Amino acid sequence: MSQEPSDKRNIPALDADGLSRRSFLRTSAVFTTGLAAIAAGLAPLRNLKDFTSMEQFVQKYYKELTPEDMEKVLKRIENEVEQQYGIRPHVRDLKPMNGVEFVYCLNLTRCIGCRKCVHACVAENNQSRNPEIQYIRVLQMTNGSFDMEKAVHDYDPAEVPQKGHFYMPVQCQQCHNPPCVKVCPVHATWQETDGITVIDYDWCIGCRYCEAACPYWARRFNFTKPAIPKDRLNPNMAYLGNRPRKQGVMEKCHFCIQRTRAGRYPACVEVCPAGTRKFGNILDPNSEVSYILKNKRVFIQLKEELGTSPRFFYYFDV
Amino acid sequence: MITAIRNYLVFLLRCIRIAFVGDWRYYAWMGLLTVFCMLGLNAYAKQLANGLVVTGMSDQVSWGVYIANFTFLVGVAAAAVMMVIPVYIYDNEELHDLVIFGELLAVAAIIMCLSFVTVDLGRPDRFWHLIPGIGQLNFPSSMLSWDVIVLNGYLLLNVHICGYLLYSRYHHRKPARWFYIPFVFIAIFWAISIHTVTAFLYVGLGGRPFWNSAIIGPRFLASAFTAGPALIILALQVIRRVTNYHISDKALLTLRSIVQVSMIINVFLLVCEIFTEFYAGGLHVVSSKYLYLGFHGYHALVPWIWTAITFNLTAMVLLVLPVSRSLRWLNLTCALCITGIWIEKGMGLVIPGFIPTPLGEMAEYSPSLNETLVCFGIWAFGLMCYTVFLRMAVPILQGNISKSNEGEFLQGSPRHEVTLPQ
Amino acid sequence: MKPPTKTSVILLVLMGVFLALAAGFSLNLWGRPASRPDIPLVDPAFISTDTVRTSYAELAAQKGDLSDFDCYGCHEKGKPPILRFDANQNLIIPKEHSDIVMKHGSHNRNNLCFNCHNETNLEVLQTRDGRELKFSESTQLCGSCHGPTYRDWGAGAHGRTSGYWNRDMGEITRKDCVSCHNPHSPKFPGRKPAPPPHPLRPLDKPKLEAKE
Repeated sequence: MSQEPSDKRNIPALDADGLSRRSFLRTSAVFTTGLAAIAAGLAPLRNLKDFTSMEQFVQKYYKELTPEDMEKVLKRIENEVEQQYGIRPHVRDLKPMNGVEFVYCLNLTRCIGCRKCVHACVAENNQSRNPEIQYIRVLQMTNGSFDMEKAVHDYDPAEVPQKGHFYMPVQCQQCHNPPCVKVCPVHATWQETDGITVIDYDWCIGCRYCEAACPYWARRFNFTKPAIPKDRLNPNMAYLGNRPRKQGVMEKCHFCIQRTRAGRYPACVEVCPAGTRKFGNILDPNSEVSYILKNKRVFIQLKEELGTSPRFFYYFDV
Repeated sequence: MITAIRNYLVFLLRCIRIAFVGDWRYYAWMGLLTVFCMLGLNAYAKQLANGLVVTGMSDQVSWGVYIANFTFLVGVAAAAVMMVIPVYIYDNEELHDLVIFGELLAVAAIIMCLSFVTVDLGRPDRFWHLIPGIGQLNFPSSMLSWDVIVLNGYLLLNVHICGYLLYSRYHHRKPARWFYIPFVFIAIFWAISIHTVTAFLYVGLGGRPFWNSAIIGPRFLASAFTAGPALIILALQVIRRVTNYHISDKALLTLRSIVQVSMIINVFLLVCEIFTEFYAGGLHVVSSKYLYLGFHGYHALVPWIWTAITFNLTAMVLLVLPVSRSLRWLNLTCALCITGIWIEKGMGLVIPGFIPTPLGEMAEYSPSLNETLVCFGIWAFGLMCYTVFLRMAVPILQGNISKSNEGEFLQGSPRHEVTLPQ
Repeated sequence: MKPPTKTSVILLVLMGVFLALAAGFSLNLWGRPASRPDIPLVDPAFISTDTVRTSYAELAAQKGDLSDFDCYGCHEKGKPPILRFDANQNLIIPKEHSDIVMKHGSHNRNNLCFNCHNETNLEVLQTRDGRELKFSESTQLCGSCHGPTYRDWGAGAHGRTSGYWNRDMGEITRKDCVSCHNPHSPKFPGRKPAPPPHPLRPLDKPKLEAKE
């Protein structure tokens, strides 16, 4: 339905020539100051150092990289790390081994809550010290309850373990049915054949949907540029593992992929003074994890009712 | 063919030009919005340079006002379709042209949604990873991938429908029914889907019991169909005031009845939610306790949610009473609806899902100055888009910009581009 | 000269605001990222994989100081040491061995040196069923009473495993019982934990309710 124009009024800007020149000057003056304000407003982008390189921007998805592509990528990473930290690292792309499925067992009778595992992990995996990123969170639980609402995260008594409490470290459970893999919009996180859920740090867009989805609060986000002291950098790196991450991407426990795919124990297992942590290949009947799951009477998975089917078992000594 | 392209380009040129022309109130409004856009742009530049640490988010509460605003605005965009249904299904001629204003609001709202999601990303430069075929879109597993598809599809649908109808009006042509009616009906279903998909983003997370509930989808739709038409009621009155486009009160009252029914359903669903959470109790209702009552001394959201509930209940009562048929009361009611639902859907849904964390840690959230400026910037940008859309659409619908006076425009003496009230 | 229209006034004000904004942006007057407090680096002791004790076998392998195990440097051969008890049947530790605290089990059950040490030959250990073991074989002594734990230790489920989980690629390292447990008071003493996590934003703990 057309409306009849009931009233016409000429806009000054479109009037006779005299006014249109004035209005042109007036408008362009406003535009210029506006553009100046926008330019000044974008000034903080000057500080956008090493946000991304052209190579990294066009880098293909991990599963589409040919071995030659991967060589170039690893070289790029080694160069970047050397430039930033002054140490030339050794970055490998370790593939999963055949006939291997990793399982982790944690003995709740033994954990004393010393948090050495937390810091060994930080040291091994080149995590940011400020802001602090720690993959493992140790909960001080009250005897008689598995209610995490009653857990204390920031306990700092003179001595651990404290009477009336038990300690439960939580990290990525490497679930069989991982909610984080389900929700990632770009396939930046997926589960490999040996059971480790990995992240391609060069593919992640930082939407943090996986962090919202994880029922174990296992994933961490780089809210800003991570800070790793140069003298504590671990130069033995893996592409899907402990190579330094950039601002804006997710990270999490990957079972020390640079160690485990080379046949070694993760850092948290190596450092535990109470022998609480057990790791190995569940498909090997002679591994300690097979022994535990065959012989211990009581072992559980966290939040089993959610159907995530973690590869992480908490057991008790009987 | 060449003529067709040339015609279209001239049409676009006129549309763009008219956006820069207006009276002092137009310049004041657009100027104000530009200022907020600039503040937002600067704040976002700081966020790009320093990372999301400049916001109030943390690993404990990893989504904040950006996603809250996104959720609210998807609802507004979906609600534009609420005007389409009466016109095309129930043949309500009163609302016919107003459908365009509603769909233009949907376009502006979707632009705001996409902006809010982009500013929330840690690595926006990697957006191309989301493009199917070029990137690795995790469809159909990830609900976010569904959201990318349906939001962009909805944007295209509405741009097509509005663009085609306006262009036909420009040419004084009756629009070919096959070229837009099917899209209109698709848009009705698509609108429901964009909001359902957004709801499923939350519902699908088993690890967050506050969200993992079947009622969230219906609640989203009910609150969207309350806040959306309420916004349209207010927008239509603004159009009535600043142009002399005739909008009858009957149109406003039709929209009022939509808001009325939707708000009643929304409040009913709230009651259902509260009963379900609190009657049986148990460990999984901690987030609800935190939101409505405070938990262990943490109570930052309690005043917000009760304000929202008060607003919604007041609005519901006013909507049921005939007093809201008077425009002054109706406007107050709409304002209450919009604010109440923004709080309840934004902060009252997104934030409590993270508190406490899945490991039981309590960590509260409040947006930082930077985050707030970015939000204002995007809202200002959206309002700017909508103003520009209306600035183009109203003269076209009134016939002031049409093929017949193209000649005048091209010769440089367009005296009849705009009509303004005295 | 026409008086300035309302539009001109608005545009002039807008110019002023834009210039003010440009100044504000350039001088970075607001929205600066808050400075985060320094987080001290963790004490390297917390990432050390060293065990708290060193067993006899390890000392011997490292060619360390074994003088602590040279019993007949002080004791007389052929003369079993005499144990003394106080009025409450508690063992009195002689001042030469004052660094030993006897707390092996509850109710003084095992506070008897010769449950494990051989009084006639102080350089060996003895099990309850009469086996003699060298100090480097002390694990079997522990296992002779602590059966289930010994069984678990043998399978790798008790005590730390280090090195290579993949036996084809390298050696697995196991520790003896006494590398972690003091045989005279085996229960782990309490220790100071590593510092608690530092959150990105201060988690304001309300004063109303303090958690334990």
